[in-house]
Amino acid sequence: MSKNGPLALAYHTLFVAFMLAPILVVCWVAFTPEGFLSFPTDNWSLRWFYAIARYPEFVSAFWRSLWLGALSSAIAVGVSVPAALAIARYRFPGREAMTALFMSPLMIPHIVLGIAFLRFFTQIGIGGTFVGLVLAHIVIVLPFALRLTLASAIGLDRAIEHAAVSLGASEWVVLRRITLPLVLPGLASGWALAFINSFDEVTMTVFIAAPGTETLPVRMFLYIQDNIDPLVTSVSACVIAITVAALVVMDRAYGLEKLLVGRGVDGR
Amino acid sequence: MAFLTLEKLTKKFGTHLAVDGLSLEVEKGEFIALLGPSGCGKTTTLQMIAGFVDPTAGAIRLEGRDLLAIKPAKRGLGIVFQSYALFPHMTVAENVAFGLEMQGVVAAERTKRVAETLDLVGLGAFAVRFPRQMSGGQQQRVALARALVIRPSILLLDEPLSNLDAKLREEMQIELRQIQRTVSTTTILVTHDQAEAMALSDRIVVMNQGRAEQIGPPHEAYERPATPFVANFLGKTNLVNGTTVRPEKISFGTSGLAGKVRTRIFQGNHWLYQVDTDGGLVTVIRQNTGEAMPTEGAAVHLVWQSSPPPSSGEVPAGRRGS
Repeated sequence: MSKNGPLALAYHTLFVAFMLAPILVVCWVAFTPEGFLSFPTDNWSLRWFYAIARYPEFVSAFWRSLWLGALSSAIAVGVSVPAALAIARYRFPGREAMTALFMSPLMIPHIVLGIAFLRFFTQIGIGGTFVGLVLAHIVIVLPFALRLTLASAIGLDRAIEHAAVSLGASEWVVLRRITLPLVLPGLASGWALAFINSFDEVTMTVFIAAPGTETLPVRMFLYIQDNIDPLVTSVSACVIAITVAALVVMDRAYGLEKLLVGRGVDGR
Repeated sequence: MAFLTLEKLTKKFGTHLAVDGLSLEVEKGEFIALLGPSGCGKTTTLQMIAGFVDPTAGAIRLEGRDLLAIKPAKRGLGIVFQSYALFPHMTVAENVAFGLEMQGVVAAERTKRVAETLDLVGLGAFAVRFPRQMSGGQQQRVALARALVIRPSILLLDEPLSNLDAKLREEMQIELRQIQRTVSTTTILVTHDQAEAMALSDRIVVMNQGRAEQIGPPHEAYERPATPFVANFLGKTNLVNGTTVRPEKISFGTSGLAGKVRTRIFQGNHWLYQVDTDGGLVTVIRQNTGEAMPTEGAAVHLVWQSSPPPSSGEVPAGRRGS
């Protein structure tokens, strides 16, 4: 590994500080005993962490966000597999149009999607329901799921599937025993990225969530509109802690690089 | 009737004729090499036999049956791919057992045959490894074992040795030949390496632009090439005063074609000479017997026995390409 010069070191330090500072500030403020967002704070208190217990809607919103992310990402990945295999392997009319369509949610501002979904869901009678949330989130996370699934489908050596066919495997057996296991790292990465995007989404969700189906970011957004106390910072600190714990566990169990880059089982 | 018959096999990609009316008869147990430069149609031919590419015209028959009417998964052929195409998420034993599993062979029998085949390729001790833990040569053997274990009617080898280094390639050639003799499976090898084709096969099909230029035993094709293309592709040639002479057939004498040594290269078991003559630059290969040899700049005379020129009438009928 090459050594960094002093200028490069200073640059990297500043860059890391820039990335981490907001997170650290939020966590710091969460420990204030004051009734307002006080920074820097002289005294320490767990007051605002205990306060979360008085707001069960934050806890239920957290679980809802978790389920919503897991479910919509899983469905998005499921939809991506056949789409990715088709786009990676075949040249057919409408191929570019289909790819563009699947990627289009990235291009459209979420606020536009939010208004459109609000109107559409109300019309078909699923406005403010969890089903509506799942459908809307599938749309916005699909590009992330498809992107990574596609990358692993393109990287697949077709000769491996031909080998399985020559050994007598039917198309279904090839898909189940060969193709899917080989693209699995891509699917896992796609799911993880999709989940993060779903969990984080507020701009669109704020339009389509109703009281009782609010996600955590929406609940927090609505809370800070009416309150100036540091409750949201303690909630944020908890989410950050859970995220860090999850990253550590995944890194130990699987390797973060593998998960986020979508490396294959044989290191390719 | 021949074991495997290709009848006027043709494949067009758009307007490009990849394979142009190739006819070939292969006997049971024979080792055939499809030899030619890249783009000559040899791999496309193999893929048509395997069923991954549909021919535009022509027929393929295996023991009289129409092979094209059978799905690729039901053809029962063993294929070794250039990239080996091992299943990276399965162990060596699981890779080899896959084909038997597809045939519905019971577990006990499966285990026995996998062990036998791994022993045959010298990998008995590697059953529980994963492909990524093995060298290229070992992966190659796994691929061979996986193809052989299903007792295929034909073994198809697609440039199987091209990813190995020169020394290993030579060892694998000898081993491949021995294994093929042991199991006596009819084998079709696709290669661009003329030394490999000559070392391994009973008959060579020299292909150029989708056609077979010559079909015959390696020695015959080398000694009596049907076309200038075959002569050049199978080895170095000199065109002197209208006749074609292989460099190793020329020796230094006291009379004959006069010339002057331009370069002399020592290659261990032989010397390689470039000699300027009135008839042009002539390549000469002389065995290294330990004797003193002409040096660079020396005046020499070249002699050779006039062998039959590359004529088109010499090759026996039936052995020629279309």
